[in-house]
Amino acid sequence: MKEIKKVLIANRGVPAVRVMNTCRDKRIKTVAIYSTPDRLAYHVFLADEAVHIGEAPPHDSYLNMEKIINTALEKKCDAIHPGWGFLAENPNFAEMVEDAGLIWIGPPPRVIRLMGDKIKAKKIAQRANVPAIPALLKVKSVDDILEWMKEEEIEFPIMIKAAAGGGGKGMVRVENKEELSIAFEKAKSEAKKSFGDDTLLVEKYIKGGRHIEVQVCADKHGHIVHLYERECTIQRRNQKILEEAPSPSIDEDLRQEICFTAVRLMREIGYYSAGTVEFLLDPQTKRFYFLEVNTRLQVEHGVTELITGLDIVSLMFDIAEGKELPFNQDDIYPNRHAIEVRINAEDPKTFNPSFGTITRLEIPQGPGIRVASGVYEGADVPPYYDSLIMLVMSAGADRNEAIRVMDRALSRGLRVEGVKTIAPLLLSIIRHPEFIAGNFSTRFIEEHFQELLAMFKEKTADDEVLKIAQYVAEISVLGPQNWM
Amino acid sequence: MGYVFVKPGMSPKEIVQKVRDLPGVCLVSVGMRDAGQSDYKNRLRMYDLKTLAPYYNEMGLFAAECHGGARWHVGIMNRRESPFEEIKLLRELMPNVLLQTLIRETNMWGYRPYPKNIIEYVVERVDIDVWRCFSFLNDVRNMRTVAEVVMKKGKLFEPAISYTVAPWFDTKYYLKVVDEIIDLCGGTDEIVLCIKDMAGVGTVTSVTELIDAIKQKYPDLVINYHRHITDGLAMPVLLAAAKAGAKIIDVEEDTLVRFYGHSPILGVEALFREHGIPVNLDRKLAEKAVEKVREWIRDYEWAESPFKGFDHMVTRHKMPGGAFPSSFEQAEKGGFLHLMPYILQVMSLYNQIVKYFDVTPGSQITWVTCSGIVNRYAKEKGEEGVKHVIKLLKKFVEEKNQDLSAMEPEEQEELLQLFRQAPGDFKNLILGHYGKLPIGWPDDWVYKSAFGNEWEQKIKERKETSPLESIPDEDLDALKNQLENELGRPSSEEEFILYLMHPKDAIDFIKFREKYGDAPLVLPTKVWREVLKKPGDKVEFEYEGKPYCIELVSIGTESDGVVHVVLKVNNKARVFEVKTPRAKKEEVRKATKPNEVGAPISGTVWRIGNPQRGTLKVGDIVHKGEEIANLESMKMENPVLAPFDAQIVEICVKLNQMVEEGQLLFVLQPLENVKETNIPKIENLPH
Repeated sequence: MKEIKKVLIANRGVPAVRVMNTCRDKRIKTVAIYSTPDRLAYHVFLADEAVHIGEAPPHDSYLNMEKIINTALEKKCDAIHPGWGFLAENPNFAEMVEDAGLIWIGPPPRVIRLMGDKIKAKKIAQRANVPAIPALLKVKSVDDILEWMKEEEIEFPIMIKAAAGGGGKGMVRVENKEELSIAFEKAKSEAKKSFGDDTLLVEKYIKGGRHIEVQVCADKHGHIVHLYERECTIQRRNQKILEEAPSPSIDEDLRQEICFTAVRLMREIGYYSAGTVEFLLDPQTKRFYFLEVNTRLQVEHGVTELITGLDIVSLMFDIAEGKELPFNQDDIYPNRHAIEVRINAEDPKTFNPSFGTITRLEIPQGPGIRVASGVYEGADVPPYYDSLIMLVMSAGADRNEAIRVMDRALSRGLRVEGVKTIAPLLLSIIRHPEFIAGNFSTRFIEEHFQELLAMFKEKTADDEVLKIAQYVAEISVLGPQNWM
Repeated sequence: MGYVFVKPGMSPKEIVQKVRDLPGVCLVSVGMRDAGQSDYKNRLRMYDLKTLAPYYNEMGLFAAECHGGARWHVGIMNRRESPFEEIKLLRELMPNVLLQTLIRETNMWGYRPYPKNIIEYVVERVDIDVWRCFSFLNDVRNMRTVAEVVMKKGKLFEPAISYTVAPWFDTKYYLKVVDEIIDLCGGTDEIVLCIKDMAGVGTVTSVTELIDAIKQKYPDLVINYHRHITDGLAMPVLLAAAKAGAKIIDVEEDTLVRFYGHSPILGVEALFREHGIPVNLDRKLAEKAVEKVREWIRDYEWAESPFKGFDHMVTRHKMPGGAFPSSFEQAEKGGFLHLMPYILQVMSLYNQIVKYFDVTPGSQITWVTCSGIVNRYAKEKGEEGVKHVIKLLKKFVEEKNQDLSAMEPEEQEELLQLFRQAPGDFKNLILGHYGKLPIGWPDDWVYKSAFGNEWEQKIKERKETSPLESIPDEDLDALKNQLENELGRPSSEEEFILYLMHPKDAIDFIKFREKYGDAPLVLPTKVWREVLKKPGDKVEFEYEGKPYCIELVSIGTESDGVVHVVLKVNNKARVFEVKTPRAKKEEVRKATKPNEVGAPISGTVWRIGNPQRGTLKVGDIVHKGEEIANLESMKMENPVLAPFDAQIVEICVKLNQMVEEGQLLFVLQPLENVKETNIPKIENLPH
């Protein structure tokens, strides 16, 4: 396999910037692509070259497969890295990349396709002796569901999911029999709209479930290791906003079991590159169930890098070049606790997207902090794409220390003006006693939302001084006022 | 502690005893309240006044008057400071000093009676040590609720008698008021009695006689004399009061003294000392406080009265010191400052017809009523008209002894119209809504004049009870909901109290502070008012214990009513957007008044005038029903007709201009001499 000297990064924002940083370390030239509103975006300036790829709508730009591949060829790139999101888990694109003679920095297209089908993935998991949530695959009607529940002695609530789904779309929790038929229709139509495929599956709902995933790395020579697990239980609307490693929910025995189960599954499917196996942990029974495989670099990979000292993106490049993994499982020895929060440009109370210009940006710094930003001061946050603008990570000797460092980062270091971010919510979460105690489920935010809101700090001296400055500005222009 | 002899936390009884035990007299400094109210339109800011606190803390004052009166209302309306912030700050800076408020019985810190449950709710929650409470009617019944709540929470109640000099208010009358007060308060051991000479008209003889009479009847009663200085005779009267037995005297820093406030603290101390009356005062510290005032008082020159100098005529019109500056302010804003001498003359006649005390809210009622009469005559008949009505009133009051039948028929007719346009508050006053008038209701003709044919009915409705009994309680929860709806968030207790006192102004205040934060507290007065003028100008301040600096870099040029200002905030440049009023002024002028003609629809003005007489111009006479313009809209013609016979004063649009519905087209002057006049709107404003 040939050496990668130049790579096209088929992404924008935080993932593009993340990949480019490693490329710089590895002396690999980078080609950025950008849509019209991203002309002055951060990833464009960080790259060695940048190519306009199309108009704002993703289908015209970051999802425009032919154009991206042609650009890579024109720019004489050796490879394409998809980042996460956009085309990262699109098997057709991966195939097209390889067919064009370029290196696809990711797992085999075949595996992407296989794992993209939830029903197939579940079957493979069963075959590999990986426990899966009791489920009815390929549901045709409400009656099917009721019959299945009777046979398997399953009680409400249950989950209806799109077979082709992900990201919380086409996913409905059903609390009782009365809701079932409406929920079924809703899931079906959402699945159709989001994935063009209305195949549904039904699962038992695991109460108080925790979301734990295992980072796996495998080379093309059959070597496969895990880089331990991450806890991603804190979610809002089924989307992760805070991740940490190691998981505070499991003990050492369970950790070993989950991690080796993940490795077993990945070996079974012939995986290479970096990937993740997601599990749901039932805290009552301490049983864990297979959810899905993420066949890509994940947003939260940084916490694993912080606890292991590895650069997963760098490993992806090496694996793609055909190199062997430079270590064995025994060499991986996590010795830190790390937390990541996602700074989304959203109203922290309503989660409505907040777009506009970042008029002021102060980035947290100091011991134990790592920041991956997709923006700079003065940058625009356009309304067309994901609201993630920055990842803030903290690391410490143990969980409490990591929380303290994160508290510093969010309460003293980070300052974003011009757009709203969910930083106040994140700060409330890490200060919440139940979070600190490790007592949480995927419903933590909904269950504690009012308390979390009440913890928002009303005023900061810096904000208050800006109000005073606004007064000074107004009266400086307008002169003494009548009301004075 | 030297001179400090009373402190917050002492019981009223203890405080009263400490004053009785003093060999001589002690002082109340009104520097933080009435001084500002009397000569600086209540604009003296916490930012500056707080510099006096360290001296007050050790000076040995009886109390610092720093709260109440109109300071509350002007605070939220103009200075944008909350009275709660002020108390909190002063408690920190001068923990030794009793903080004193001035409260207007049921009218509290507003201008109309509040219901009993609001009075209780508010008084319970305001952290003040000395509650000076007066009634502009000397209707002691109205003080009951304030007295009860204050005494129950262990604070010192200081009932005041409103004092003036007039034949019908003799010593006997005042003694009766004192009796009622002592009765209300259950004796003399837990109160201080204030004689509130709010216009400053007491003479050496009258005040000596009054205090003498009170002391004979109530030898243990501690008396505080409060006297304004406008007549120029204040200090000898203060001395006489002290000699007669007053133990507490109101003063202010010499450097604050102008013409409508109080006597200078150092001067009073020196005068008393010379006359062998010991004053409990650390004079050195008092001198320093006086010096301190010089550092900032020049920043308030703009707030001083345009009429400078003493004026002994105050003994006739009796406008209280505290009412002068705001009256001038309103006259200036209303464009009738030149009529002030006439208004004062009418006041001196009016207060012989309707007898009460010119102090809030009475002073507003007097002011609005009398300035309204003068303005109405001025608008209708010019200055001659004003002179005419003064002559009429003089004849009625001074020559005919207010005997209506002794006047000529047409003069009677005119007098019977005198109060027809009087403000609602005047009508409420004579209907007893504020309480009983001190020496009885006005003559029947006043009711005929105010109410016309309904006058007998109105007299029947007149109330003899205190507003405490007649005003129903309000639903506090509902009011709180109203406030929170308005704010869109939960309100604090303090915000709610501000709202209870002055609903509209409180909301303006709260919104101002939401937008501009603590600007009113941290900015020096020069910057607060005039701000930064040229690039490089900067303001430095401390906020929450850290230094800040705001520096002007540049002010951009205006574009579409928006100016961009670049400021450095702690060395970091930032751009601020400022909307100018021109943005608003460029808005379409709308027809709002009866003499303005607006566009009936949106369209194009394709003709000004009509085919018969051609184009119209300013000065032309038009007749009712005549077409004066035509608008085209959606290919339809829409004539605009003259509403009455009139002369064109202004044509506000050009030919072929696009106009929107309601947009001003013409300003007309009616041809017949319509009595439609624009009397400036005078509202109850702070006195």
